[in-house]
Amino acid sequence: MNSLVSILLLLLPTVVLGMVPRAAPIFAAALGEDVDQSAGTLNLGVEGMMLLGTIIGFVIDFETGDFVLAFIVAGLASALLALFHGIATISLKADQVTSGTAIWFIGWGLSGFIYSSLFGKASSPPVVKTIPTLYIPHLTDIPYIGKFLFGQDPVVYALLITFLAVQYFLFHTKAGLNLRTVGEDPLVAEIMGVNPDLYRYLALIFGGFMAGVGGAYITLSLVGSFYFDMTAGMGFIAVALVYFGKWNPVRVLIGSLVFGAVYVLYLALETYFPATPYQFFSMFPYIATMILIILVGARAHAPAALALPYIKEG
Amino acid sequence: MNIGKPIQIIFFIILALLISSFLLLIDHVSPIAGIAELISSGFLTRYGLMATLNDTIPLLIVAVAIIIPFVAKFWNIGGQGQYIFGSIFATWIGLELAGSLPVALLITVAIIFAFIGGALWAIPPTLMKIYFGTNEIITTLMMNFIAVYFLDYMTIGPMEGALAKINHVPSSAPIPTPDLLPHIGGVSTGIFLALAIAIIIFLLLRYTNFGYELKLIGSSVDAAKYSGASLRRDLLLSMVLSGGIAGIAGMIQVFGITTVLLPQVFSDITTSFGYVGIPVALVASLNPLITIISAFFFSGILNGAYAMEISFGIPIDLVITIYGLMMFFAVIGVMINLGKIFRRHRAK
Repeated sequence: MNSLVSILLLLLPTVVLGMVPRAAPIFAAALGEDVDQSAGTLNLGVEGMMLLGTIIGFVIDFETGDFVLAFIVAGLASALLALFHGIATISLKADQVTSGTAIWFIGWGLSGFIYSSLFGKASSPPVVKTIPTLYIPHLTDIPYIGKFLFGQDPVVYALLITFLAVQYFLFHTKAGLNLRTVGEDPLVAEIMGVNPDLYRYLALIFGGFMAGVGGAYITLSLVGSFYFDMTAGMGFIAVALVYFGKWNPVRVLIGSLVFGAVYVLYLALETYFPATPYQFFSMFPYIATMILIILVGARAHAPAALALPYIKEG
Repeated sequence: MNIGKPIQIIFFIILALLISSFLLLIDHVSPIAGIAELISSGFLTRYGLMATLNDTIPLLIVAVAIIIPFVAKFWNIGGQGQYIFGSIFATWIGLELAGSLPVALLITVAIIFAFIGGALWAIPPTLMKIYFGTNEIITTLMMNFIAVYFLDYMTIGPMEGALAKINHVPSSAPIPTPDLLPHIGGVSTGIFLALAIAIIIFLLLRYTNFGYELKLIGSSVDAAKYSGASLRRDLLLSMVLSGGIAGIAGMIQVFGITTVLLPQVFSDITTSFGYVGIPVALVASLNPLITIISAFFFSGILNGAYAMEISFGIPIDLVITIYGLMMFFAVIGVMINLGKIFRRHRAK
């Protein structure tokens, strides 16, 4: 036990430094899902949207070398999937769980299909250069906190700005209040002169875009290449984090960072305990997800109209 | 419900195939040639039909298993993990008892163990839902990933077969008894078990109080409570049955097809029947009898897609997108309600 504690202490710097990039893709997707759900739409297709983002981001970066463009196109591709989810669930009032599952399958299949179609015959797996991290002289060199604060890649900072914007939007603007009202009671929103369907569509498209960005982050920043089913449930973990975060982006951010830490920790522990079968460490993130949502459990107050289609009366 | 009609299933399939056929252009393959190959190899050749029927078996069993809690709107996405655990338990008991039991008894014991394995894997998320109100979609899915790693561990650890050590492909030892599940005309006799399960679950859902209560819970939890249904008991029972039956599908795969426990079979996108069972069940609008038809078509598309991969180099992953599209059309089909539109048209 003592040795475990000392190893954990030893790993602390690695975990703190590594958790941010590991948290980033989950956080991107979870932030989008948070906005979706606040407007009352459950999007279970995040996993598929992230997977589509992984491949689209990869292809665009591979072809053009422009990672900004790659992120944008990946986001737009996933937003298109989200639009289909919207047509089914918002306009046609279809079941959100079923439609979300369908979207998951569509994105899942497309990611592997596109990859194999374009690169299947390549003799060695294609790679792209991962996004460079920031280096600000002096600042990044500050011991302990320099790299953590000033040595991340630009997408992390972009995500941070998006997070602040979403937080401000949701809780400090009229439109944010409208959006949350749509999630609580679309009828009340309509009486207030707000168009619930419009808000839900926009929220969903934003959520899809963020899921695509999260997916692209995995290929373009974390890995530099593509492999099949590479999100491995991250999209669903993102949904779980929204529950954990009780629909508040700040808590979603904290949850995502905890997850980032869990990921880094299990990778590091694998190398420290080679005698223990690695599979048990690989189970960590999934077990952690289950524990996290038990902790929140039924006490979470969900938007009252979550997953309910809004059907105008009369 | 309207979309349940087999004709509509076929309509969704055609629509999904039409749309996905355009994706073949990415591979510079003519959509018409590709789809023709898919249909003929999946449904019309003798060999293709045999393979299609063999894959229908696990797909049908898993889909029927998933239907039970789905009827109560309890979304068991964990069919894959339950399927895997059934296969682990069945293989383990098969290896322990092979040779010391007559084959018929061995198979019976294996079915029971597969049921127990799958049911055990379904219970934790259900209890979490009952006692903590956690979202079952997430918990059942997480259990799938844990099951995959556990299977991986078992087949390179405690259950590793002699051949696996040489090949470096994780797998268990083969179950040594011959003719575990004999084939008739190339089709595993597991098909009778699969059909029996579908019919039994159909009867269970339609004619028993339990089935009635599940439907009631699915339409309104409050109404179910008011009518005196025990939500906890019903959910737990539905999930034990669901996990157990999904587990039996795992046993059928090992005893009827692979004879060894092969993690690859459970991680490949195309043979992840625990996942594919979800669209199969939903396209059949949760009716176990119609699921027989939809499982057959899904399986045919899968085998047709294999042929398409061999003939034209179309990546097999396309089939998952086709499944997704079929599910998507099925779900919006309910809302558009084709049947109603047609009837109204006729009435005029």
